[in-house]
Amino acid sequence: MSPVDSGSEGTPLRLNFTAELEQLRLQVEMMGVLVDHNLERMREVLRSGDFALAAEALRADDDIDAMNVSLTERCYEVLAREGPVASDLRLVVSVIRMTSELERIGDLALRVVKLAPAHDVLASNPRTFDILQTMADEAVDHFRMALRAWSGADLDLATGLATAPRTMDLHNEQLMQALVGLEGPDAVAVALRTLVAGQALERINDHAAILGARLRYLLTGDPDHLTAEVR
Amino acid sequence: MTDTTSATVSDTTVTTSTVAGGGEPTVEPAAVVFDVADLDVYYGAFRAVRNVDLKVRQNEITAFIGPSGCGKSTVLRCFDRMNDLIDGCRVEGQLLYHGVDLYDSRIDPVEVRKRVGMVFQKPNPFPKSIYDNVAFGPRLAGKKGDLDETVERALRRAALWDEVKDRLRKSAMGLSGGQQQRLCIARAIAIDPEVVLMDEPCSALDPIATARIEDLMQEIKTDYTIIIVTHNMQQAARVSDRTAFFTTEVNEQSDTRTGLVVEFDETEKIFSNPADERTENYVTGRFG
Repeated sequence: MSPVDSGSEGTPLRLNFTAELEQLRLQVEMMGVLVDHNLERMREVLRSGDFALAAEALRADDDIDAMNVSLTERCYEVLAREGPVASDLRLVVSVIRMTSELERIGDLALRVVKLAPAHDVLASNPRTFDILQTMADEAVDHFRMALRAWSGADLDLATGLATAPRTMDLHNEQLMQALVGLEGPDAVAVALRTLVAGQALERINDHAAILGARLRYLLTGDPDHLTAEVR
Repeated sequence: MTDTTSATVSDTTVTTSTVAGGGEPTVEPAAVVFDVADLDVYYGAFRAVRNVDLKVRQNEITAFIGPSGCGKSTVLRCFDRMNDLIDGCRVEGQLLYHGVDLYDSRIDPVEVRKRVGMVFQKPNPFPKSIYDNVAFGPRLAGKKGDLDETVERALRRAALWDEVKDRLRKSAMGLSGGQQQRLCIARAIAIDPEVVLMDEPCSALDPIATARIEDLMQEIKTDYTIIIVTHNMQQAARVSDRTAFFTTEVNEQSDTRTGLVVEFDETEKIFSNPADERTENYVTGRFG
């Protein structure tokens, strides 16, 4: 997605502006990588209940939040100073929306991370614990796909994300069935925590699909892709 | 040149037929005032503009944008036949005004200019009183007697009345640049034209005077059809309903440049998601 398109005639102008837009695009990618690290930590904390790693994830989320604020401010400044239009405007608006999605994904990852003290409870039912880990794998995979699509301005990948079959719904359905069938004195404790983790993972997956839709809007300008929201 | 009409421009009954019928439940586009198709403008043997296709619609503001020398003003001047005043200038192709061929030999250019007013880049009031400036057109058109009402109405419409009502007999040259430009708009609309052409009307004005003119354009478009040439793309984005993007191409043999319309669409489309890469490069200011 080089702003200097091939086939353009004339002298390149507004070089600082062009550089700033490229910086914004790269910063979103960097923020995405930070979120990706935390998703990886989330997956490991879910598997192992590692307290130290959970604390690391909490600290890293502060960096993600700070990056969201600073990138949003940079976007407002570009809007105020440069008056971007057409694909430039779409980029700046997309950056604002992408960073808030990324920040949200970071928060959802923390919901799972914060269940570390309840790891033994979560893991006590092998069936539901197994489904949770499958959901985590799928959410992380989808997020990585979104990140790859963004860094390569890959419309096919973005479209694939936004239109992928909703296998997560299937996992969620299996999880609910398993939870409803739980018995014994720990049933409520297991069900509550598993439900919290399951919902967070499902929503991370939804937000990854929305990242795909945001990118489709940026690349095509088709307003249909503006309306994608988490339902 | 089309040869379909025996009507003259002074036949007020001629209306467009392009929006009639159709049975579409959606909002009908406004009537077409100017229908331009495959229009070329020559200066002698040199083709300055080629293959212009666009429709100017009633009570809309149509903006022409593009780099210098791309033919925006040349095309604008076709609409009131001002190009007739230039030696060797020749117009080919179709330019219909409410279905009437504007370049038909039977059309009187003076009659055209009664219907189509022009506001220029630099405010150009006559060295006369404010009143006489506005009354000039109506007098020329043969209006006799008391013109007070006409002058007041035009000045009010141009949002200038309150500022000048106590000094109507004073020289127009004492007004500020922004006031002079609004006076020129008052002068243009005093003859009750249907169309007002504006050739970079704000390029000599400060931001506040510019904002006044832009507000005024929005206000008077309920009564007039406006075509504006502007170098200020934000202005085109702010005020216009439709935008035509012009650019130039180099002629291989002669090293001259010919203007053409690259894209003509709703302004929102041009500034959010233009179809042509050349438009995108121009509106984003990336190439010059």
